[in-house]
Amino acid sequence: MPLWFARGLRRGVVTTRYPARPDESAALLPTPPAFRPDQLTREAADLMVAACPGPALSRRDDTLIFDVGACTACGRCAQVAPRVVSSSGEFELATTARSALIKKIPIRGGGR
Amino acid sequence: MNPLDVLYGAGGAWLAAAVTGLLAGSGRAGLRACCGWSALGGAAALAAGGWSLVYGNTRVVAPGGATIVGGPLQLQMTSLAGVFVAVLGIVAVAIALYVPRYHEPSRGTALYLAAYNLALLACLAVLAAGGMVTFLVAWETMSLACYLIILRHPRRDETARGAFWFLALSEIGFLLVVAAFVILSAKTHATELDVMAARSHLVPGGWRAAAYLLALGGFGFKAGLVPLHVWLPEAHPVAPADGSAFLSGVVVKLGTYGIALFAFRLVPAAGSWPGLVTMGAGAVSAAIGILYALRERDLKRFLAYSTIENTGIIVTAFGAAMVFRAYHLPALSAFLLIAGLYHVANHGCYKTLLFLEAGVVEHEAGTRDMDRLGGLVHRLPRSAVIAFVGTLGIAALPPLNGFVSEWLIFQGLFQGFRTGSHLTAILIVLAAATLGLTGGLAIYAFVRGFGIPYLGMPRTRQAAAAREGGQPVAGPALLAVACVALAVGAPVMLAALSRTARTITGTSLGPLLLPGKLTVLPAHANFSAFSPTYLTVFLVAACAVPALIYLAGRPRAASVSVPVWDGGMVSFRPRMQYSAMTFSAPTRVTFDALYRPSVSVRRASDDDPAGRSGPVHYEAQVTPVFERYLYRPVVRAVEWLADAIRPLQSGDVNLYLLYVFLVILLAYLLGAV
Amino acid sequence: MNPSPDETEAAASRLRETVAAQFGRSLHIRTLDTGSCAVCEQEIRLLTAPHYDLHRLGFFFTPAPRHADLLLVTGPMVRAFDVAARKTYEAMPGPKVVVATGACALGGVYPKDPFVHGDVGQVLPVDVWIPGCPPSPLALLHGLGVAVGRLAEKTPGLTFIADGGAA
Repeated sequence: MPLWFARGLRRGVVTTRYPARPDESAALLPTPPAFRPDQLTREAADLMVAACPGPALSRRDDTLIFDVGACTACGRCAQVAPRVVSSSGEFELATTARSALIKKIPIRGGGR
Repeated sequence: MNPLDVLYGAGGAWLAAAVTGLLAGSGRAGLRACCGWSALGGAAALAAGGWSLVYGNTRVVAPGGATIVGGPLQLQMTSLAGVFVAVLGIVAVAIALYVPRYHEPSRGTALYLAAYNLALLACLAVLAAGGMVTFLVAWETMSLACYLIILRHPRRDETARGAFWFLALSEIGFLLVVAAFVILSAKTHATELDVMAARSHLVPGGWRAAAYLLALGGFGFKAGLVPLHVWLPEAHPVAPADGSAFLSGVVVKLGTYGIALFAFRLVPAAGSWPGLVTMGAGAVSAAIGILYALRERDLKRFLAYSTIENTGIIVTAFGAAMVFRAYHLPALSAFLLIAGLYHVANHGCYKTLLFLEAGVVEHEAGTRDMDRLGGLVHRLPRSAVIAFVGTLGIAALPPLNGFVSEWLIFQGLFQGFRTGSHLTAILIVLAAATLGLTGGLAIYAFVRGFGIPYLGMPRTRQAAAAREGGQPVAGPALLAVACVALAVGAPVMLAALSRTARTITGTSLGPLLLPGKLTVLPAHANFSAFSPTYLTVFLVAACAVPALIYLAGRPRAASVSVPVWDGGMVSFRPRMQYSAMTFSAPTRVTFDALYRPSVSVRRASDDDPAGRSGPVHYEAQVTPVFERYLYRPVVRAVEWLADAIRPLQSGDVNLYLLYVFLVILLAYLLGAV
Repeated sequence: MNPSPDETEAAASRLRETVAAQFGRSLHIRTLDTGSCAVCEQEIRLLTAPHYDLHRLGFFFTPAPRHADLLLVTGPMVRAFDVAARKTYEAMPGPKVVVATGACALGGVYPKDPFVHGDVGQVLPVDVWIPGCPPSPLALLHGLGVAVGRLAEKTPGLTFIADGGAA
């Protein structure tokens, strides 16, 4: 019992201070993607839409519509279009309006 | 003018009631007339009983020099019997109000009412008996009359069995009581109880012990001390509701009266062991009684076991009073005697009430089985409220009367250390602990006993069909008022009982019990204190004040009424509620050494070769420990003995002539010697 | 996948006014699983573990809707669960907050079909949506903070456009 107690004291406090202070484990979390519009072409967009297992990605004309709420951070869009997609690092995504989770990404990549 | 004169009035009224009932009970007018006489007698008995608490003992009276069964008829009204007579009185009034709406006028009812009023008269005679012969004759008459009461519906199977158990155990008890009285009478050369009491020092120690133990056993059969209680759960369900109420409310109390009579008047013991034995028997009885009550589905069997529990409590109080007297602590002894008598009065009120309400439930909802009832608080609101008052009383919840008497008993037991003997103190503490366990289990049992039948949703269509109106209310309501009066009027009651205790034990408690008008002390100035009045006021305020604050300050916005939270189920069926057995299942598990439950499960799929599922049959039983391991061996031994003796009655005339010859020879030889 | 009407500012301020005043630093949460794979539940359960420790923020779990202030819903709202979900919501006394969490509850995994509503907003009035599959305990803490008005939401301001592109 004293051994366990001493070990615990040496370890220190393990509770995170979040949300008062940032949590260092946040960097390890899988997060939704962020897109580079300059690298994004229609073909790349269509590839990503096809690869996405859910309804998170869809394309309308020259806009990639990204539903953050539907994203599972599976990483397939990053696999098919690595130059376009990077990890956003955002995990504080709670919102009061569902529509605020629908993001529009302009397609500005040259016709490749 | 003394209480005994009032009792003549009561006895006369009950005799008139018995005759009216017998002759005219098959008509509605005759039934009402009989009940009127019965109620009159009850009122007289209540008055006489209350008066005799403060009056003291009257002289022994032999009215007109009458003899009964060859012995003198001797009557005396004592303080000790006062409480019991008062209980008899109020129970009689309540039942008299109840009977017209419960029984249908018929030939059977006429006989029943005659037997019932005869039983009332016999109980009165037992309590007012001034001599041994009167007591015993009245006792036996009471037993026989109660046997007839139980046999109200003789054609039903269980009735014969229940009545038989009652009669058999009553007779065994009677024999023991006769033996006890004969010993005392022989040693004191008297038949008047007063004279026997005055000459009790003439009885040598061994005979005193024998007489007391015989009395404890004999009266214990009637009172329902474990293991002599077996008739109670058999007889109560089969008797009509008012019959059960009378049995539990009065007849069982007469058993405790008998124990008190021997313990405090006739053979007061010098040593402490009779008191310790009594106290132990009472405590064990209380615990076992309530434990069996928790495994009963039948409302009346449940109440019968609860009666056993309360008898145990009363006998524990009397036993502890005997112990304290043996240790020369007269104040504590008187205090516990008062506590025991108070509990007699309380139990008489609320148990009678509960049995009468059980009768109402059985009549309106068609069943006594708790697992087929439910939701009666909506369908029988008046009866439910009255039953609730009775439940609060018997569960000993403040501020009602049960709490007052149990507080008194506990405070008396807690002072066991004053005896100075370590062993005695430990035994008293054990008794107190057992009563504590009993008290907790009693609350549990009565939450179940009131909650399952009255609250929730009806579990069957029968229960749902119960309707208000037409059921007897006045009788139970009177008892509910009595319960509240016994609680609120505790100081008055205690003052009267204090005078009673002085008459019996010669000790006056005075300021050690009631220093002022409102506070109660446990026979000692600095031990603890309790004020029933303040407690009642406080509890009422504690409920009323928040309610008023809420009503005054509640939000103006309309509140929304939503259905009861049922776990979000789509269709909540009443059978999904707690059943009586599942509610008390924790006790089955904890106390399975006592219950020895046997469970059998038969699945239809077990018998089907293809293993198809079907109905599952589940049966759980509590082993009847006392019947199987105590009574059946005794019965078998008696049967074996009878078989062994049978050859003596071979039917052969020559053998009988030989017997005659041998007896004459023996008589001749003894005469020569 | 039907987005609720766009009233980000109005919704946020309504929430802040009603809720922050009432719940402040003590909130009782009732979880409701409308047919999830239970991974969201595991993340929710982690909230009571020493590392995240929900209780230091004044949040507690309760099984009884009568005692709950916040309903935390996971799962795609299986149709068979409709009645139970509505009953749970109605059994909660007002003021109450509904938080839908996980991609299923937001309508991002199962389309509407005869067995599933698709998203929780079809049956219950959702106040806060927490995305993730599953949402990490940190995301849940942030979401609960938004629900009681202690934390500001960031999503309206996020573009998910990486550097090197137009903002």
